[in-house]
Amino acid sequence: MYVFKPVNQLLTTALKRYSTSVIPKTITNNDTVPTQPDFNPETVLNSPDYFNVHNLFTVKDLFDARVHYGHKEGSIDERMLPYIYGSRLGHIIFDLNKTADYLRNALNIAAHVAYRDGIILFFLRGAQNAHIVEKTALECGEFAHTRFWRGGIFTNAEKQFGAVTRLPDLCIFFNTLNNVLIQHTAVRDSAKMGIATIGIVDSNCNPNLITYPVPGNDDSPISIQLYCKLFKAAILRGKEKRKEHFV
Amino acid sequence: MARSRLEKIGTIYSRTKGLLQSGALQWEDRPIWYDLYEAFPPIEEPRYDRPAPNIPIRKIFYEEDKVRALFHNRNKHIGTINMFNNTSTTLTKKFIQAYTTLDEKYKGEVSQEQLYEEAIELVQREKQKFSKAEDEISLVSSFKQAQAKQDSGNIPIKVSDLFKD
Repeated sequence: MYVFKPVNQLLTTALKRYSTSVIPKTITNNDTVPTQPDFNPETVLNSPDYFNVHNLFTVKDLFDARVHYGHKEGSIDERMLPYIYGSRLGHIIFDLNKTADYLRNALNIAAHVAYRDGIILFFLRGAQNAHIVEKTALECGEFAHTRFWRGGIFTNAEKQFGAVTRLPDLCIFFNTLNNVLIQHTAVRDSAKMGIATIGIVDSNCNPNLITYPVPGNDDSPISIQLYCKLFKAAILRGKEKRKEHFV
Repeated sequence: MARSRLEKIGTIYSRTKGLLQSGALQWEDRPIWYDLYEAFPPIEEPRYDRPAPNIPIRKIFYEEDKVRALFHNRNKHIGTINMFNNTSTTLTKKFIQAYTTLDEKYKGEVSQEQLYEEAIELVQREKQKFSKAEDEISLVSSFKQAQAKQDSGNIPIKVSDLFKD
């Protein structure tokens, strides 16, 4: 009941425990499923940006969405220092060139996971931006969890849901803190269960456990809107290609 | 399925790789992200114990900050500004522009005091010049602006759509 729409789906579709849905066999041995004749699965992985996610945004877009604003200097987490451009009168400013790099990597991974039919779960704590994240998840056919995180949803899933449960394959955190400014438990739990994570890390967050961190502002609604738009577009591109390649 | 839950040791990749090598996890059962991690490894390893680097935070200052400080020190009440308004320049910016043009004109031969006085005068004269015209323009132009905004459909929400479902 806490996982957004699809508890039933989560419970019933999967026979595998934990996050590890098997890669569709079609990718490893491509003779089993009808695919497009001129389609080679190797090229998808080998090309650096198969889904063209680099053209989804520009640094100017990030600037306009106020992604460069961090918190005050006093609340900085020192592990965020490499991503920071400087401090303007006590406020941290992110280096948007670096942010763009990390964000493109993250979007590429999201598109690839969607292409391989993985389950993607969006996270965000905070009532102000929760609705737009849930709406984004609905629109791209994935899942969102923006409410109180009851411990053990990942780590004790079988007991909590009363059945063998397929966990998500990718967790996307639009902020990695919960509403009392400590790290979201799901970040740790994803690492425990071996689930890859993408996370927007603000200047007061710890990026270490996030597999693909994206330094940037995680508080402004306009920034969250931008992230939602970008990840939705990337995921939809992945799904579109999947439809083309695996009929 | 086999799984190591020690998130503080290594990375998700190294732990999964260990399970695959030891045969605890079958190759077909590897997670979806495993191939992606190998093809597109993260820029930094996502290790729990990755140490914080020792980089000093540099302060961001601009050349004109001196002028800005001078202006704001002597004028505490210059009203509020709307930061979403990109069409007009702020009073501070006008002053800085006047100050720098004057500075260039005199080639640094004049004292800061004199430059300040002259720049303030320049800004005030400009303000007076436009104040009469502004009254007439502002009503018309603001109406036009509002109309253009409505026509261009910049507002993504329509009230009628809100109650559809």
